[in-house]
Amino acid sequence: MSDVNALPAAVRPPGRVGAPAFADVVAEHLDAVYRYLVYLTGDRAAAEDLAAETFERAFRSWRRFDPRRGAPRTWLCRIAHSAAVDWFRAEARRQRREETYSRDEAVLEESVFAEGLSAELERALRRLTPAEREVVALRVLLELDGPSAARVLGISGTACSTRLSRALKRLEEEMSDVRN
Amino acid sequence: MSAIDRSELDGYETLVSELRATAPVAPERLRERVLEGAPAQRVPRSRKRRLFLVVVPVAAVLAVGAALVHGFLSTGSRPSAVPAPIMRGIAHRRPVYGSAATASQSLRALPSGSQSADKAVSHQPSNAYSGYEAAPATTTPTLGMALSGNGARSSVMIPQHRLVHAVATLQVQVSRSKLSEATNSASQIVGSLGGYAQSVHYEASHQGGGSAVLTLRVPVQKAEAAIAKLGALGKLLSQQVSTQDLQTKLTHQTSAIGSLRRAIAVYEQALQSTTLPASQRVIIQIRLNNARRQLSKVRHARAGTLAFGATADISLLLTTSGHAFVGGHHKSGRFNRLLGSAAGFLGLEGIIVLYALIVVSPLVLLGTLAWWILRERRRREERLLASA
Repeated sequence: MSDVNALPAAVRPPGRVGAPAFADVVAEHLDAVYRYLVYLTGDRAAAEDLAAETFERAFRSWRRFDPRRGAPRTWLCRIAHSAAVDWFRAEARRQRREETYSRDEAVLEESVFAEGLSAELERALRRLTPAEREVVALRVLLELDGPSAARVLGISGTACSTRLSRALKRLEEEMSDVRN
Repeated sequence: MSAIDRSELDGYETLVSELRATAPVAPERLRERVLEGAPAQRVPRSRKRRLFLVVVPVAAVLAVGAALVHGFLSTGSRPSAVPAPIMRGIAHRRPVYGSAATASQSLRALPSGSQSADKAVSHQPSNAYSGYEAAPATTTPTLGMALSGNGARSSVMIPQHRLVHAVATLQVQVSRSKLSEATNSASQIVGSLGGYAQSVHYEASHQGGGSAVLTLRVPVQKAEAAIAKLGALGKLLSQQVSTQDLQTKLTHQTSAIGSLRRAIAVYEQALQSTTLPASQRVIIQIRLNNARRQLSKVRHARAGTLAFGATADISLLLTTSGHAFVGGHHKSGRFNRLLGSAAGFLGLEGIIVLYALIVVSPLVLLGTLAWWILRERRRREERLLASA
């Protein structure tokens, strides 16, 4: 398994000289960003929009990106996190305005997180909070290391580790609840 | 992923493998949508822009720094338009009283019509100090002299047969058209007497009024003549002369040098003795060294005393009629001056601290505000993600 936290040869110091093209970055990390957003939002359509927005933002700030300061995946996830937080805020406002909450009902019946995922795991994932799903996505799906995930989340490494532990534990508990 | 990172997933292998095996994949339409706006190559930041980003802040910092330094220097060294510090100079001199045979004098001439318009001369009897220096507290000896209405004055007597240091302050009023001429004349007068103008501050408005403050130095033997000539430049408004006797101090220093020389000769002779025990030799050697060091110090001090007594300081204030300035009579003692100086210094420190606070506090406030906003934002995000 390749270590996603290590910088690819093209982006290693002296950095900007060997920096990859933005299209290459998109090709390499689009799936990861999409997975992360699907888990974070629990909404595939929203994840698509947010992924597109993430790469749009990334493209705008592409000149400022310094590969020596972090891997592209971490940087992209940080942007995606910010976009998702904005989306959550907008959703919260919209829900308060409409005073309805029909989205979950519509989504419940279809597979959100992945095709082929067991029903128990799918339901258990839905029961987790976005923050819990987020850390699972970063650490398990995207295989970011602790410090990188902590940087994306804006918390300390210890807090990130604790959050992951609690999320996985709760995921198992929820799965056993679903089974029972 | 490191071993520590892997250990966090221990016990959840089945769960992790299922999640990874079924990870969602970005649909092709999303890939196309994103790639539509992606450039083929990354455009490097232009060199000009980078240079601009470096040069502009550096230039700004340099400009601000230079302005601060200039402001500090110009405000610190600029002479005051009102020459009060010059007039106060006399008060800052510390008269030194010698033995009963010497008397420090302060002579003050006042314009006619003043309360001291008589020719009374009051010499304060000196106490029988035996070579100790003492501050004169409030009993500054004064010699009051009257000036005639046209500015004629009595001649000031400065002892010629003793080593003294004289300090004089004169305020002379000249006509508006002759201010610059009188200023030049004053410099020429002291120059002709073997002295020099230490500083000259000339200030005149376009109407002709103004003032000039000159700090002059002349040989003490010529001080009387200089004071007389300078006073004759115009109408003498005030005149203050202080003399500080240095003769006793010089005598003590001279006798101390003689004593030390004799002691050194004795020590050197003793050290040449072959029968001197080693312990005694060491002690004498130490004493000899001390005596030599002391001799060097006293010689240096004596040279300083002689140099101090060689010149007289004259502060001359030339004013036009519109700029009349009356110098105060200063009776403050050393303690008061010390307190005043300390208070002034503390005030300056306070100004610096206040200035620093004024400059720094907005930055600190902004920094704190930014930190607080970021923290609140992060907490709000946490709450949002935890509750959604």
